[in-house]
Amino acid sequence: MALVHIDGDDLVVVIEGLDKLWAFKSSLTIPLANVRGATADPGIAADPKGIRAPGAHLPGVITAGTFHLDGEKIFWDVKDPSKAVVIELADERYARLVLQVDNPRETVTLVENALR
Amino acid sequence: MGRQRAFDEDEVVRAAVGVFGSRAYDGVSVDDLVTHLGVHRNSLYKTFGSKRGLYLVALRRHLADDVRPLTETLAAAPDAASALRLVTSADLGLLLLAAVERAPADEEVAAEVAAALAAIDQAIADALSISPALAAALTAAALGIVLRGNPDGVGTALTQRFD
Repeated sequence: MALVHIDGDDLVVVIEGLDKLWAFKSSLTIPLANVRGATADPGIAADPKGIRAPGAHLPGVITAGTFHLDGEKIFWDVKDPSKAVVIELADERYARLVLQVDNPRETVTLVENALR
Repeated sequence: MGRQRAFDEDEVVRAAVGVFGSRAYDGVSVDDLVTHLGVHRNSLYKTFGSKRGLYLVALRRHLADDVRPLTETLAAAPDAASALRLVTSADLGLLLLAAVERAPADEEVAAEVAAALAAIDQAIADALSISPALAAALTAAALGIVLRGNPDGVGTALTQRFD
């Protein structure tokens, strides 16, 4: 699970609970200028995720950590795919974040509104 | 320099106009977009940033490809009946859905929709030499007629009042 909030001109992602062990991260701070958008995407968990390093990947249980796909780095923290939100970034270490959040619709609105 | 994209962005946006114009925004999943647009999920995110990003590009494309030509033809409409017929026969699916569904929730969409409708009003006002307010009333009636499935006789009954 991840908590997403806006702090001034930054998007802040806090990884909760034990997920931070598997994901090797407890939080990420990204300038809003480098955030391109957010999308609720329950289907993404069924797609190929690429090669994991470092992190945990137990298919059907948890996908957490850094994955490499098509030359991009993607950060994952998802157990329940129905609550997955994709946050697309630019000029960051990660090309995109795939996060499980409590309320995907709310998170998408929060991020998209912050970008306008 | 970015990597060569493995798809035709123009075609993808055109296909997105069709998808977003035929069902509710929330009813279109990224899976639907991947399937109907024939683009990998990663490329979709990389190119458009988000579903909303793609939606805005598709809406602007619809306005440029479908609505602008309508305003150009409208400018030459000889009478109210022709103007009404042009509006009711145009492909305005995405514009109508956007007006009803997304504009109230999204300022950027609202601005695009308002500008497009204002352009239609203006074209009708110029063509028929009527006030912008009356032209807007005609546009509003025409869109309402489209929403009601263009029932027989309604358009004629209205335009008889104009002539």
